[in-house]
Amino acid sequence: MAIMSSRLLQECVLLDPQEQEKELIYRRLVDLLAETHGIADPDQLFADIMKRETLSSTCLGVGCAVPHAHSYAVDTTVIAAARLDPPRDFQAPDGEPVSLVFLMAGPDANAGIHIKVLSKLARLLHDQSFREGLKHADSREAFCRIISDRDR
Amino acid sequence: MKLLVFVLNNEEHLEEVLEAYIEAGVTGATIIDSEGMGRFLTYEVPLFAGFKDFMKGNKPYNKTIVSVVRDEATVQRLKSLVDERIGGLDNPGTGIMFTVPVDWVSGLVPEDEEV
Repeated sequence: MAIMSSRLLQECVLLDPQEQEKELIYRRLVDLLAETHGIADPDQLFADIMKRETLSSTCLGVGCAVPHAHSYAVDTTVIAAARLDPPRDFQAPDGEPVSLVFLMAGPDANAGIHIKVLSKLARLLHDQSFREGLKHADSREAFCRIISDRDR
Repeated sequence: MKLLVFVLNNEEHLEEVLEAYIEAGVTGATIIDSEGMGRFLTYEVPLFAGFKDFMKGNKPYNKTIVSVVRDEATVQRLKSLVDERIGGLDNPGTGIMFTVPVDWVSGLVPEDEEV
């Protein structure tokens, strides 16, 4: 079932941004979501994302991070993504620097779809060929196509 | 014959439920300590830690009662008695009860020796 493609728009993909710190990269992704989806209170969304980070790491290992939060700031589940080259140190539990970030935000009222998207994302990111494809995508279009090809 | 499985979410009701089993004519069962998927995911898998708030009201641990029953009438008697004691199973978070057909069994107490 395609549950990711419609939530990750090309406009919300960052390829090789200059920011170094985790917080700055997450903030950029939040701002992209806000611009694209008309989120009125990006500060609240960013605060919710960072609050979730204090619970436990959202780094999956294998160079991937999936920061996420339920937030009153959004009324539907949306995703933004960043590819980082060179990978950045996010203090992941497995010690690997992070090269792929998927930031996800969903409303409090619909935890069901949020957990489904998160689970699917985690499954796909554990596939090395999927990760390699994303790491070598030459455009935002190609990045999103790799995801939509697997999001069926 | 049927295998009757009952996942009882609130362990506090175990005594009343077993009384219902006896009253309905199910004189033997195996009780297994079990754990909900939600508890495991939110407490043991860091990625899902943010969903703990959605667990509120759900019991992290539960009991699974497994028994072999001889006929449908016993199942229906039991269902009605359980509903009476712990509330309808249609209420979220109460429990799940189901049966599957059993085509062979060995080791059951003969019917005429059951309590």
